[in-house]
Amino acid sequence: MASSDTQWPRFQVFLQEKEGAAHQDVGSVHAPDPELALLNARDVFVRRPDCVSLWVVPADLIFARTAQEIAAGALHEAKKSGKPGSTPETYCIFAKKKSAGTQTFVGEVEARGPVEAMEQALAKFAGAKPPFAWLVFPQRLIVSSTPEDIESMFAPAYEKPFRLATDFHTLTEMRKIMAKQKEEGT
Amino acid sequence: MNADLEKALENYLLAMGDDELILGHRNSEWCGHAPILEEDIAFANIALDEIGHASVWYSLLAELIGEDSQSYPDRLVFFREARDFRNAQVVELPKGDWAFSMLRQYLFDVFENKQLLALSGSAHRPLAEAAAKIRTEEVYHLRHTAAWVRRLGLGTEESNQRLQSALNELWPLTSQLFVHLQDQAVLVSGGYVPGGEKLRQEWENAVVPFLEKCGLGVPETDPEDDERIGRDTHTSHLNVLLTEMQSVARLDEQASW
Repeated sequence: MASSDTQWPRFQVFLQEKEGAAHQDVGSVHAPDPELALLNARDVFVRRPDCVSLWVVPADLIFARTAQEIAAGALHEAKKSGKPGSTPETYCIFAKKKSAGTQTFVGEVEARGPVEAMEQALAKFAGAKPPFAWLVFPQRLIVSSTPEDIESMFAPAYEKPFRLATDFHTLTEMRKIMAKQKEEGT
Repeated sequence: MNADLEKALENYLLAMGDDELILGHRNSEWCGHAPILEEDIAFANIALDEIGHASVWYSLLAELIGEDSQSYPDRLVFFREARDFRNAQVVELPKGDWAFSMLRQYLFDVFENKQLLALSGSAHRPLAEAAAKIRTEEVYHLRHTAAWVRRLGLGTEESNQRLQSALNELWPLTSQLFVHLQDQAVLVSGGYVPGGEKLRQEWENAVVPFLEKCGLGVPETDPEDDERIGRDTHTSHLNVLLTEMQSVARLDEQASW
């Protein structure tokens, strides 16, 4: 069947900056399949910053709700439309703890569906200051880089010389040239 | 190191640098034109890496002959004529379609991986160290381009046909990558660089089964053809590329960057 949407599927990208740190949502990439999604994620998100591990997850299988939506009955609504699975599986839980922050991995729960996973997360990970938003997905959906990938995928970026546009002093140079031209009357 | 060896190594480093520079420049022409944004970024990254590697080889060359390793690479890149470049013709051909550029980069990536692996044991220490370091990045390039070649080869009838016609055009030219430079034998016997024939065997053992698995037919070549072109012979495409690449630098030779 012909589709008007010519885009490849979207994958959400989660990046771990250093050993022991939590994976954080950094954005998304389009890719025809998970393997290329992982490679695209490396090229889009790991050219400069530190990274030791990347996860990509199909974006349309991620269940995400804001605290505001949940307060307005979003989980109740979602329950009506989706049937829970028969056997529980592991869900990864991400929470956004600051309004301008990013979704950060906070832990795992065993649940029979995304709604149940989010309900458990609310009870287990909310803490004293409840997060602004939640994001959950089954752990089995993760396609991850391996520790062996660090050397070829992430390490080379550490030593790349990087010059900010301001390093070239373009404005100062242009002013000098213009002043000189003015002086010479050209 | 005696003068003959030094001269031979100089030529070898120049050829390596020129291959990477010209291929990197060709690939950079996709910047803003690749079929999808993510791949535009990825392929521009690869292009930039190759140009960075060229700069490493040119700097080693500068150190070897006592030139300034900062300014000499720029002289080599921007102020030489086409006849003085020592890249293989396969890297100077226009970028073609996406299948052509991907396949060319894949074929070169395998070549470079095998070459760098051998060079990381080179008797010239600075060369060995640079090769070992650069190879880690090349492992990633190869993973990327191999993934694309597999998908194009096994994708649709059109993607397979485009890839096959790219292979038909590229294959005969790949032999030039392995043709010995005039004085390379002395480097090979001294343990400085790998021999062309051995490298070619390793390369073929890797690419031929892979290409066949990707649904491609590897063209037959006449071994007699292999000797025909040295690295001082170029197509007219190189001149066009250099004219554009060098135009800004040649506007003002004394400008500082």
